[in-house]
This record gives sequence, C-alpha cells and structure tokens, in this order.
Amino acid sequence: MKTKLYIFLFLLNIGNFSIFAQEQKMTAAEIAQFKEDVNIVAKKIKSLSTDFIQYKHLDFLSKDIETSGKMFFKEPALLSWQYKKPYNYSIIFKNGKILINDEGKKSAVDIGNSKIFGRINKLIVGSVSGNMFDDKEFIISYFKLKGQNLAKFIPKDATLKKYIKQIELTFDKEEATVVQVKLLESSDDYTRIVLKNKVINAKIDDSVFTN
Amino acid sequence: MQKSTIQFLLINCFLAIVLVSCGSVTKNYTPKKLDKTTIEVPYFSDSKTDYVYKTNITVYGHEMSGIFIAKKINDTTHRVVFTTEFGNKLMDFEISENNFKVNSIVSELDRKILINTLEEDFRLLLKNKYLIQEQFENEENNIYKSSDGKRDNYLFFSKKDQKLEKVARSSKTKDKITITFTLENDIFAKKVVILHQNIKLKIELNYFKSE
Repeated sequence: MKTKLYIFLFLLNIGNFSIFAQEQKMTAAEIAQFKEDVNIVAKKIKSLSTDFIQYKHLDFLSKDIETSGKMFFKEPALLSWQYKKPYNYSIIFKNGKILINDEGKKSAVDIGNSKIFGRINKLIVGSVSGNMFDDKEFIISYFKLKGQNLAKFIPKDATLKKYIKQIELTFDKEEATVVQVKLLESSDDYTRIVLKNKVINAKIDDSVFTN
Repeated sequence: MQKSTIQFLLINCFLAIVLVSCGSVTKNYTPKKLDKTTIEVPYFSDSKTDYVYKTNITVYGHEMSGIFIAKKINDTTHRVVFTTEFGNKLMDFEISENNFKVNSIVSELDRKILINTLEEDFRLLLKNKYLIQEQFENEENNIYKSSDGKRDNYLFFSKKDQKLEKVARSSKTKDKITITFTLENDIFAKKVVILHQNIKLKIELNYFKSE
C-alpha cells in the first residue's frame, strides 16, 4: 500500500515536473531575441498561403468540431479565409469590405471604418504572421516549449475582451513563424487553429480575393 | 323592429364570415380514434450525441449563418450554442420544459424579443415527449394534437413510413411555427427547417459530419 502511494506521488511529481518543463517563462534576453526573430521573418512576408484545421472546443461536447481549409494573405491587408471541409464557406477581408460566400450564396458587408472589424482584421493578419507584439493593445507573456515558443496575449480593450479572453500563438522555434493560434473565449471554451504547409511569398492569384 | 332584424342578420353574417375565414386549424383534417396517448421524438434526445448543424437564418430579408450546436446535458435540459463559422460564440443557452437560462449572448443579439422567440423555437425543437389528446388524419399524414398552454402542438407522421415529418405550433386558428424534418435515419434529422408564420423568420439547420 505504502509503495503504491510512493509510486503515485512519484508519478505525480513527474507529471508536475513535465508540465513545468512544457511551459517555461522566457528571460528578458530571450524575449528580446524571440521578438526580433519573429519580426525579421514577418517583415519579409509579402504574401502567405497555408492550410488550416480548426478545432472548436466546447466543454460540454464529447468531440471538438473540426473544420478545415485554406488561408491566403497578401500585403497590405488582403485576407481570404476558405473553409473547404465539411462545407464550403469563405470570408474575404478586402478594402473595408467583408465578402462572404456561403455554399455559393454571396453577400458583402461594408465595414468601412468599423473599429472592431479593423481590429479583427489586424488581429488575424497579426496572428498568422506573428507580428502582433503591441504592448499598447495587449498584456503579453512569453514561454518556451520543446522546439516551440509561445506568446500569450490578453486584450486591454474592453470591447475586444468581451469576445476574446486570451490569444495564444505558438511559433516554430527554427522558422519563427506561427504554427498554432488559440483563441480563448471568456468561458474557457476555445478555438484552436493549426496551420500547416505554409508557403511564404509565393505568387497568389487575385481571384482568391474575389467572391 | 325591421331595422334591428337587419342589424341582427348583418351581425350574424359578419360573425359567420369571421368564423369561416378563421376556421380551426384542424378544419381540413378528419378526426380519428386516438391510438396513443404519448409520443416521444428521438431527433435530439441522445445524451451521447453532439448535434452540430450548419445554420442559415433569414430574418426580414437579412441573412446570417453560423453553427448550431445542441446537446442533452441531463434528463431535462439541453445546452444550445450558436457560433460563427470562425468559432466565436454568439449565444449560449440552457433550456428545458420549464426553465431557460442565458449563459452568454453577444450584446448585438441581446434583445428580449429575439431571445423569447428563440426560446420558444428551441424548446419546441428539442421537446421529446408529447401528451396526446386528439388525433386526425389527412391524405398523407396521421396528425396528433398535444395541448401546450395557450398553444397546441400538432405532430404530423407520414402514413407511408410512420415518421415524424413536421411539428406545427398553432393557436386555435393559425399555425405560428412549423418545424419540418428531413431524416437521415429513424432517430436523426439531417435537415431541419424552423419557419415562423407571423414574423418573417426562417431557421435552416443542415447537419455536417465533423471529420
């Protein structure tokens, strides 16, 4: 009995240790280096295309809701987010407009100077390129993982905070680009987006940004 | 004397016209002997199933889309969440026969009239047990009447395969809400349409298989 307890405590300890090892705070010097690495890469990004898988996690569901597709970005602010599976749905941010194509049903929303959509646009582009280290907008904390870096952003703006409690960007350490975006909602439910097959600065046809 | 007779006749005619034009919702059905006193609807009643549907809502000519998620969380209660395709939660309710709780709702949708409408719709959609008082038939359907406070719910079973195809929530004279089901199998609806007769509101749910 006693041995079992020791083994249990031992395992618990390992568990704790590994959790600790998984997410370790960066030192000030490491933060500076990490930000510089990301900014250098982000500055080079004129266009970007990537596959993504989105996992919607709601605590009460037995399984995450999985959808997937492709995302395209082109400087300065063209963004196309296309769901291909299990349904076709695309949303394009372009010249102050949001263009939606829902299984062939097209619509457009003029966002003009809408502050919140401007912010969302900046947020998505920032999330994917990784360049959103804006201390005026967010309280940011930095962590090291195995082969990866992690930055956590807590919005300062009250309106934004109502929708998003925290954003977590996971970076590949070598490439200094984003591999996962996690958006946590106020109630601890979250959306996790995994980016795969990223191509930087390949030519992207303009048709991608038309509805 | 003559004048009052004419008045009496006029009033009677008027009443007759009103009564005929507002005839009972069952006027075209033939009464039948009751063959059961309770009916259970299985379409949203399995506590192990995540009911996830792509949703299109048309309200007074405006369209919006998103993901409808429902899950039976205990014997009496369903959790209902509506999110955008991106995964942001727009509303989150808990609903049972007698209770209704708003866990969260974005401020843009936080309107009493909308919440009350959805409460009635979702309660009807998720209701899985009906007590039957009367029975009718028409050419295609066996129709069961279940009283529910000021309203009556009518359940339409196809004569061909004995499946529940439609639920109509009605006043004495008019349908208020109809819900039609397109079935994947005996216990699962792949498509659901909630249609309001007195306001221009249509909610269409299309099941999608998460990969």
